[in-house]
Amino acid sequence: MNAADRPVDHPGAAAMPGGELAFDRICHEYATQAGCIEVLRGVSFDVSPGSVTCVVGPSGCGKSTLLGLAAGLITPASGEVRWDRAPVTPGTNLHLGMAFQQPGLFPWMTVHENVAIGLRTRGADRATARRVADEFIATVGLADFRHAYPSQLSGGMAQRVGIARALALRPRLLLMDEPFAAVDAFTRLKLQQEFKALLALHRPTVLFVTHDVSEAILLGDRIVVMSQRPATVLREIPVSREDRNRASAAYARKLAETLECLGVPSDGGSE
Amino acid sequence: MSGASSRGRAAVLRNRLVLPTLGAIVLLAAWQATVTLYSLPIVVLPPPWQVATTLVDLFGTAAFWRSVGVSLYEFAGGYVAGVLLGVVVGLAMGESRTIRAVATPVVESLRFIVPFAWIPLTVLWFGTSLVGKIVLVAYAVFFVMTVATLRAVQNVEPTLTRVATMLGMARWQRAVRVHLRAAAPSIASGARAAAALGWIAVVAAEYIGSSAGLGFMITNAAMSLATGVVIAGMIVIGLIGAAVSALIAWLSRTRLAHR
Repeated sequence: MNAADRPVDHPGAAAMPGGELAFDRICHEYATQAGCIEVLRGVSFDVSPGSVTCVVGPSGCGKSTLLGLAAGLITPASGEVRWDRAPVTPGTNLHLGMAFQQPGLFPWMTVHENVAIGLRTRGADRATARRVADEFIATVGLADFRHAYPSQLSGGMAQRVGIARALALRPRLLLMDEPFAAVDAFTRLKLQQEFKALLALHRPTVLFVTHDVSEAILLGDRIVVMSQRPATVLREIPVSREDRNRASAAYARKLAETLECLGVPSDGGSE
Repeated sequence: MSGASSRGRAAVLRNRLVLPTLGAIVLLAAWQATVTLYSLPIVVLPPPWQVATTLVDLFGTAAFWRSVGVSLYEFAGGYVAGVLLGVVVGLAMGESRTIRAVATPVVESLRFIVPFAWIPLTVLWFGTSLVGKIVLVAYAVFFVMTVATLRAVQNVEPTLTRVATMLGMARWQRAVRVHLRAAAPSIASGARAAAALGWIAVVAAEYIGSSAGLGFMITNAAMSLATGVVIAGMIVIGLIGAAVSALIAWLSRTRLAHR
């Protein structure tokens, strides 16, 4: 079989188009020893193909549950999650990439092996996996660290590898679980810029969970604001190009609007 | 620069060679002093130099090496079986809630019955054969390894599991390629502790019911009042135990460490 025919063989070529993700009246609860905890109560929103939706909300409101639902790892108590109009069940979406708050690199593998293993697991042959991994490691600027082990990387570098690993899978759906929350503020700003540039190249559908409102404005085409648990969608806020300019009045207004929605008054609550 | 490195070398020499030798000399001197002060007869406690010559004599006999061979064979057979079974059971318990629920009461009750408590039964069942010792060592090692593996697998960073799932790994791939591998360094330190216990179990079993091996050689020598051979045998047991432990530590350091 000619390996060159496979889509995974052309990572830098035309972008894999994202698909549509839809949450339709999702209710979900967790059984704990203390009883049943209702996390989501009738959550509905769509993420259109190739767009970035950022979900913000108080901690514990079920933001990460949304990612688990989208990945098919969690089945909702009621309601339906759809990917390209078909219901998501475990293992349906094989075009999935995900990055986490902890980079989650396998410490016994080099940077290269960490990126290549996902491609191998999903059926790419050895040579293809090697080439694609190298390409994506170079994209995140770590070509010189290909053979380094995770313990030799800084937090920001490890997070870049985690993102390269997710993108190397050529995901049509990219799920981000606060991937920049654990790095220092300056590194975070740099990673956000880099990530934005990478998205422009590959255009997957992105569901990005964060508790950082400025991050949501910078990266999102739209912000979904969630309420306290049991969470509902409080508001969907569209973000325009102009809103992303941190020096603009539009940015300040967007920030104030989102924060107000989260119950943080714009005057900072001063007396 | 060269002054600093020669100072570093001197410190290494001091900590690795001079001080340990000093410790050994103090021990031997105390031993010699005890013999001299109390004018102990050779049957009670021979002086160090005599044990040293006995040791050298033993090295020249085929019977000694046969004893070493038998003990090591019993140890190795039981150890390998116990480690493999323990890792498999520990991993299965870590991966499956059902298996954990079934196995926990069995493991938790049996693991506190020390291997030595089984010696009368193993003698009854297997006589003085090697099989009895192998079973005993496997038993001793199995529980240490089961518990060590279970704990190690449960302590694997949860993000690694989520990553494995995200990458599309099947459940068994996740168990073996991610959980087992991530847990390997902790499992190896369990294996080192298990080796010490297994080696002790071999010698203890040989003391009580056997017809070969180092423990048998020692009890035999004690009955014929060859105290020098008894002590020489004890020293050999200690040296082999330390060597086995060092070997396992070296293996885990070179093969498993996350660089």
